[in-house]
Amino acid sequence: MNFLRASLALILLIGWSQLVPRSTHAESPVDFNRDIRPIFAGKCFACHGPDESKREADLRLDLRDEAIDAGAIVPGSLDDSSLIERILSDDPEERMPPPHTNDSLTKEQKELFQRWIKTGAPYAKHWAFVRPEKPELPEVSDSKWAASPIDRFILARLDEAGLQPSPEADRYTLVRRVYLDLIGLPPTPEEADAFVNDQDPQAYEKLVDRLLASPQYGERWARDWLDLARYSDTNGYEKDRPRSIWPYRDWVIKAINDDMPFDQFTIEQIAGDMLPEATQSQKIATGFHRNSMLNEEGGIDPLEYRFYAMVDRTATTGTVWLGLTIGCAQCHSHKYDPITHTDYYSFMALLNNADEPDLFVKTPEVTQRREELLAKIHEMEAKLPEQFPPVDGEGDIEQRRQQNFQAKRSEWLDKSRQEAAQWKTLRATSLTSNMPKLETLEDGSILSSGDITKRDLFTLKFSIDPLQLPLTALRLEVMPDERLPASGPGRAYYEGRQGDFFLSELKANFNGQPVKLGDASHSYGKISIGSGNANASNVLDGDGSTGWSTANQEGQSNQLVVNLDQPITTAGELTTGLLFERHFAASLGRFRISGASADQKLAAKQLPVSIEDLLAKDPQKLTPEETGQIEHYYLTIAPELAEARQPIDELRKQVPSYPTSMVMTQRPADNPRPTFRHHRGEYLSPKELVTGRIPKFLQEDEKTAGPTDRLELAQWLVSRENPLTARVVANRAWQAIFGRGLVESSGDFGTQSDPPSHPKLLDYLACSLMDNGWSMKKLHREIVLSETYRQNSNTSDEQQAADPQNRLLARGPRFRVDAEIVRDTMLKASGKLSGKMFGPGVYPPQPESVTALAYGNFRWNPATGEDRYRRSIYTFSKRTAPFAAYTVFDAPSGEVCTAKRDRSNTPLQALTLLNDAMYIELAQALAESAQKEASSNEAVAENIFRRLLTRPPTEAELKAILAYQAAQLARLNSGELDAAKITGNKNSTAESAAWVMAARALMNLDEAVTKS
Amino acid sequence: MNWLQEQTRRHFFRNCGVGIGKIALASLLAESGLALGEANANEASPFAPKQTHFPGKAKRVIYLFMAGAPSQLELFDYKPKLAEMEGKPIPPSVIAGQRYAFIQPDAAVLGPQFKFAKHGQCGAEISDALPNLAKVVDQIAILRSVHTDHFNHSPAQLFWNTGNGIPGRPSMGAWLSYGLGSEAHDLPSFVVLKSGGSLSGGAAMWGPGFLPSVHQGVPFRGQGDPILHVSNPAGYDQRAQRESLDLIRDLNKQQFDSVGDPEIRTRIAAYEMAFRMQSRAPELMDFSQETKETMDLYGANPSDGGQAFANNCLLARRLAERGVRFVQVYHAGWDHHSNVAGGVRSQAKQTDQACAALVEDLRRRGMLDDTLIIWGGEFGRTPMVEASAALGRSKGRDHHPQAFTMWFAGGGMKPGFSLGKTDDLGFHVVENQVHVHDVQATILHCLGIDHTRLTFRHRGLNFKLTGVEEHHPVKELLS
Repeated sequence: MNFLRASLALILLIGWSQLVPRSTHAESPVDFNRDIRPIFAGKCFACHGPDESKREADLRLDLRDEAIDAGAIVPGSLDDSSLIERILSDDPEERMPPPHTNDSLTKEQKELFQRWIKTGAPYAKHWAFVRPEKPELPEVSDSKWAASPIDRFILARLDEAGLQPSPEADRYTLVRRVYLDLIGLPPTPEEADAFVNDQDPQAYEKLVDRLLASPQYGERWARDWLDLARYSDTNGYEKDRPRSIWPYRDWVIKAINDDMPFDQFTIEQIAGDMLPEATQSQKIATGFHRNSMLNEEGGIDPLEYRFYAMVDRTATTGTVWLGLTIGCAQCHSHKYDPITHTDYYSFMALLNNADEPDLFVKTPEVTQRREELLAKIHEMEAKLPEQFPPVDGEGDIEQRRQQNFQAKRSEWLDKSRQEAAQWKTLRATSLTSNMPKLETLEDGSILSSGDITKRDLFTLKFSIDPLQLPLTALRLEVMPDERLPASGPGRAYYEGRQGDFFLSELKANFNGQPVKLGDASHSYGKISIGSGNANASNVLDGDGSTGWSTANQEGQSNQLVVNLDQPITTAGELTTGLLFERHFAASLGRFRISGASADQKLAAKQLPVSIEDLLAKDPQKLTPEETGQIEHYYLTIAPELAEARQPIDELRKQVPSYPTSMVMTQRPADNPRPTFRHHRGEYLSPKELVTGRIPKFLQEDEKTAGPTDRLELAQWLVSRENPLTARVVANRAWQAIFGRGLVESSGDFGTQSDPPSHPKLLDYLACSLMDNGWSMKKLHREIVLSETYRQNSNTSDEQQAADPQNRLLARGPRFRVDAEIVRDTMLKASGKLSGKMFGPGVYPPQPESVTALAYGNFRWNPATGEDRYRRSIYTFSKRTAPFAAYTVFDAPSGEVCTAKRDRSNTPLQALTLLNDAMYIELAQALAESAQKEASSNEAVAENIFRRLLTRPPTEAELKAILAYQAAQLARLNSGELDAAKITGNKNSTAESAAWVMAARALMNLDEAVTKS
Repeated sequence: MNWLQEQTRRHFFRNCGVGIGKIALASLLAESGLALGEANANEASPFAPKQTHFPGKAKRVIYLFMAGAPSQLELFDYKPKLAEMEGKPIPPSVIAGQRYAFIQPDAAVLGPQFKFAKHGQCGAEISDALPNLAKVVDQIAILRSVHTDHFNHSPAQLFWNTGNGIPGRPSMGAWLSYGLGSEAHDLPSFVVLKSGGSLSGGAAMWGPGFLPSVHQGVPFRGQGDPILHVSNPAGYDQRAQRESLDLIRDLNKQQFDSVGDPEIRTRIAAYEMAFRMQSRAPELMDFSQETKETMDLYGANPSDGGQAFANNCLLARRLAERGVRFVQVYHAGWDHHSNVAGGVRSQAKQTDQACAALVEDLRRRGMLDDTLIIWGGEFGRTPMVEASAALGRSKGRDHHPQAFTMWFAGGGMKPGFSLGKTDDLGFHVVENQVHVHDVQATILHCLGIDHTRLTFRHRGLNFKLTGVEEHHPVKELLS
């Protein structure tokens, strides 16, 4: 069947190969990489390549020695090489590739093989696996035009093809192009004129430098990086709930604006947490790999989805830095590239030894605000006694107030002291669990870390010494900790509330005999999902589906107390078991067990444990500070002060909490996460343990170890030993500016990829990038200063016929801008664009029906103020229902790493620009702004035109616009059209409505959404 | 409708077969002053009808996707043994190694909640929850032996729709649009409709993956414009829209003359097609063209949101009539972790009549032969009961990927036929085990496509809908 894509690919291939000089003539030497490897990769490696599981006849052709040993190739001898015999055979049983694969070789390919073997069958490493070296500049026909290295390489290739470069673009075109490329926004007419009228011969260079220094540069280039990082503001999958990782997005913008060297940019994102004395910013950078999705669906196996996240991270690392489809080796060894199944999991192991917490981002602004408010609260609390109600009676009111305060306080103190129990922390002698690591902290509490499951069981052993006897009750204190999700006390991180826990059962044994527990009580109980109760007695009922939980009080302490039916009266070993069993992983993160000796049943108290401890102490032995703590506590609960405390409570609500960002933290040396090879890539089929390393073929030599952990991997990625990263990065920059990379498949530099159009230029750019300290700004600068870039993009039938995709760059780039730039262009043209940078995602207007298709009751509440007009990079990105006006222009959803966007041209795009209320609103603003700036019809029309397209309109264009405007105005005046509806403003005139209509039409021009 | 793919768009004006008829094109070209020089060139747009691998009986698909996973034990797979064993756990030998979403595998068995009877000439046994389907049972093929790899909604729904449990692969509709082209005029080749509750798989279920983005499904919206922005903005009448488009076209044309980029001509064409879609959409959505008998057959009522599924089934037929290749009708609401009896009853009430009506309506119109109807959820439900105090659940069933039921009608499927068998507990398949990828291969087969040959090269690999392992169309199901 002749599928379109296949036939197209063929057409393109043929078209392209005409441009590439190949060794089709008998006299020119055969180049292995150029001539032979592509045939091998396309036709032979699937069965005779690196994948041992699919290898036929034990023959591999990707290694020369093996091919020779097997007799397939006998260098210099056609007659003895079975490869030649098989490819030439007429016998369908013998012929290779086998006829049923439909992969037959052309006559030309067969000849190539013969000539190659005749000349000794030399192999060469795939070009991309050999370190780039700065090439000599080629000779060109016009060294004046080609003054810069980039232009030398481009012109040399044009010379070969017999093509001429195009003249330089006019200044309006150039200023618009370079604005769109460097800052992702068109210039205002004033900005454009400033350049056009600048007589300085250095005007263009100065403009470029100014744009490179603009903060909007980072906003434009961060978008490309976020495509690779699969950034989104939601978790993905079914529930697709919001996540907080925008500080990472802001980090990217800032890093790019600061021109952070790309090597550092890499190291911080892959392993910022592992740098010595890692800063908050370096930790935020590790959000790069936290951008993978999180399945929050009830009932999943959380470790299965963690595995899929690792699969994503492995593949993404391969695509972003190595330009390799490492992901192909998840299920079996790579068919074409020398990446084995074990290489894949070893590479994964380098990335797989991190925990995934949320980091509280302690910005100075929030810290300062917190401190101010807390100081205020403290001050107000100190004055509370002055608001204590006085006793009734005569005399000085302050005295009576004081009297009442003292009386009530000692009353409370006496009662509380009587009730206070002597709890003693039990320090565990042994801590075991099914998976998480449990450790005892200094205060005797226990912290859980590492991975958790839907059914966690903690077993804690305590040695009960005679001083603690008789032991009559146990108290489980659940405690907050900043290291836990939402500060704990639980470790729930999906499906349930963050920081929640669910204790199903609590059991105890003493010296191996079951201890009967009863009379359970808690200070607070609520479960987060479902209608069940959270009674303390649930933990003793033998039913795993009931339990205790403190939902909605994340970040706070609570307690559960159980009494022993029979007190323990002898020393021995107490074992307690805590079972956490729910449809999501919800074990405790930090908790403490205490025991008490009491002559009555004890119950859980609201009183904080620290205060109860003080109350239980001999009052004579209290330090003044401790007395102060008790007294302060009394102020916070005294019923007489309830009203007086209200303003304080209000103030407390205003204390801002720190935003969080998702980060990576390397696991401690005593609790590494093992990585296994997974048979067929399946989560449920782990096989042998692997150790972290890079694929063998990329290792410098067998003796050097190469990277063994995440930080070393990051450093290796940007080291000179790695042949790929600099090329991949330079190629993507080229792609962003010219629409296509020098290597067309910007995410695949493997043996299957098409060779670069300008191999030497690519190596030149890669080497310059490294030589320039990995400065991306310098790279962008060099590209946009080239004559190649500055050519006009006009094209002719002849050019279209010779090089329809403009791979040889005989003209400048011209293509539709990315989705976000479409909107940002309209925002800027309309004068509505907000310059506000950073912060949580915002909600520009879109129809409610877009998110109605998403799971749950997700509501898209369009912003009303400045946030409505922020740059598109700040739009809240929801994976399962992405912003429709971006999707329609091929913006990715953030579900997978995207190295290259599609660039379609569809009627749905037309409908969006024509009819979307968001764009109509901007058309209204655009017309209004233009009318404010200009008075004559010609001037208004020109103003609208130039805000969108930069250049002045031609006479014919102006005439057409004015004719349209006049025609609409006539209809408005006649009452056929309603000005109020068109402008969205009751008091508007027909005239302004006609300009809105004109503005809307011009926003829909091809040129308005095109960089030309 | 004709979206234009990057590589071919420059050739748009050479193609007259797709998207707009010759007359329309001629007039469009005349209007825009472009020559009709190469109208018969053989290079095709991405939607040009493609030749199939072999003659397929089906030309289009309507997939009634029952999201949430209906209980096969309440609808199609009658297991009296479960009633006998009710309250007792499943034998350990059966449940060994199974993972479940909410329950422990040793949960007790729950008996069938509905009565079953044999229907039609074929004598297919289905429950009394589906009285309408029972009437058309001789038109459908029931497959009781399907199994899947995923036991959570989102990945399982993605698996059915894209062949993979993680978002990012092309959806089945996108594959078909890519592989077969479109016969729809001024409509997308792949349309998505939805009723009921929430979908779990998200927009990735109709995404293009790595195929050209023009092939992605277009969701029709339940509120506002059926196709986003298909209505003119407030205050713009048809003439204002036309005159605006004329200005846009004229200015684009001037720009084309000056810079020569064929992309501009593609944009001109896209705008003209957008305009045609705008006039086409109201006609499509206008159910007043239907007879009362037809409306009653489906139970459709466009003004009643409660009839959304019935309305969507009728709309699916209208889309099919207009050449839309793949209509995905999602109905969400089958996730009955508690009170499976009540849940199934209520969902069956919302869907049974319209499903049967769609089969009958297409048959009467002679469209059933070349339209494949598919009915099924993302997995099945456990023979074991789900009950949880914390969640407040009782007498429900959990997710069960090991065995469940689907049915098919028309498009080359055997009518009045049943295939596949599960064990006495309905736990595992014992005869004719069919994997999701086998069903996908079968669907492609009905359309004349060899699933092993519908491939797309992406990052160095030839991807296909049905994955890398070996799978086959279920030949037994084919007429």
